[in-house]
Amino acid sequence: MNSKKRILVWDLPTRLFHWLLVVAVVGLVVSGKVGGNLIDWHGKIGLLVLGLVVFRLVWGIVGSTYARFCQFFPTPAKIATYLKGGWQAPGHNPLGAFSVFALLGVLIFQLLTGLVANDDIAFVGPLYDLVGRDLSNLATGWHHLSVNVLIALVVLHLAAIMFYAHVKKDNLVKPMVRGWKEVDQGESARGGGALALVVALVIALAAVFAASGVWLPEPPPPPAAVETPAW
Amino acid sequence: MKSKLLLALIATATVTTAHAQVKVEDAIKWRQSAYATMGWSMSRIKANIDGTYNKDDVIKAANVIQAIANSGMGALYVPGSDKGKGWVDTRVQPALFTDGPKVGKIAGDFNAAANELAKVAATGNAGAVKDAFGKLGGTCKSCHDDYRTKQ
Repeated sequence: MNSKKRILVWDLPTRLFHWLLVVAVVGLVVSGKVGGNLIDWHGKIGLLVLGLVVFRLVWGIVGSTYARFCQFFPTPAKIATYLKGGWQAPGHNPLGAFSVFALLGVLIFQLLTGLVANDDIAFVGPLYDLVGRDLSNLATGWHHLSVNVLIALVVLHLAAIMFYAHVKKDNLVKPMVRGWKEVDQGESARGGGALALVVALVIALAAVFAASGVWLPEPPPPPAAVETPAW
Repeated sequence: MKSKLLLALIATATVTTAHAQVKVEDAIKWRQSAYATMGWSMSRIKANIDGTYNKDDVIKAANVIQAIANSGMGALYVPGSDKGKGWVDTRVQPALFTDGPKVGKIAGDFNAAANELAKVAATGNAGAVKDAFGKLGGTCKSCHDDYRTKQ
């Protein structure tokens, strides 16, 4: 029995991303389901989540060891090892990796459809003008349906954490809060320095700007000479 | 005798016309037109809430919604109009025609919210209008969520 050692698994940006996403997604589901004036907040939080997700995508390339997609991408060899019960490495195991990619995939789908959606009351997504009514209605329908997939994946995620805590006696929440974990084998995460962080933040902010639609041309103001009838 | 018969015929014809069943296609068209007009008014109020508030503009829009809300639009949900085409294919779900009490509750909430919005619009209080607008939008949504087909 090797003595346990303490390694860094989740770097600080990954953890901040994770917990901000938790709060934001709860806010999105609630504001989306309640509607009314909260729909304006739904749009704003949606842009925040877009920034978070884009940040995470970049961080999955330039971040530290266990945040990188290629580190935990579920290859057939890894899946085979995992299915045989021989999985030991820290970071995401292959099943967890599927969960990560599925959650990110559904979130991206929700973001893209939400950007052009409308609520048929008085709210439209910031890029609605790019697609027109018909496509917007289609995207809105998908947006409403696929939120159920998102909720199901989150429930599954929580169930897996409970299973690990109670059956496998492995607390997954603590490392996501503190960053480190006691392990038998494995190395501390490396990489993901200040420069990588700046790059990821800049790209994320650029994406939020692009998605906010503020760059879209304003409809030209009607010329003063042409007035609509007073009735 | 002849003139009496003619009179009776005319009377029957008149009565029949007055009670004529609304055609399904017309009913759906009128429904869609009414919702589109309310959509215009909602956008108009929102533009006033988000931008420069013009009291008269909001009053006009709120009065339109109130008038339509109190027009007895239920009369346009004639049997057989769960399917069909007005300006476009209707997106109503058949459940709207069978969930009587639940739909009635939503319709009642909608009426109340529309009346409230028109009331506060008259005062010109932008904050109160924003609240009433949000509540009204919520009643629109409750029906959209349950009784309108997603595209």
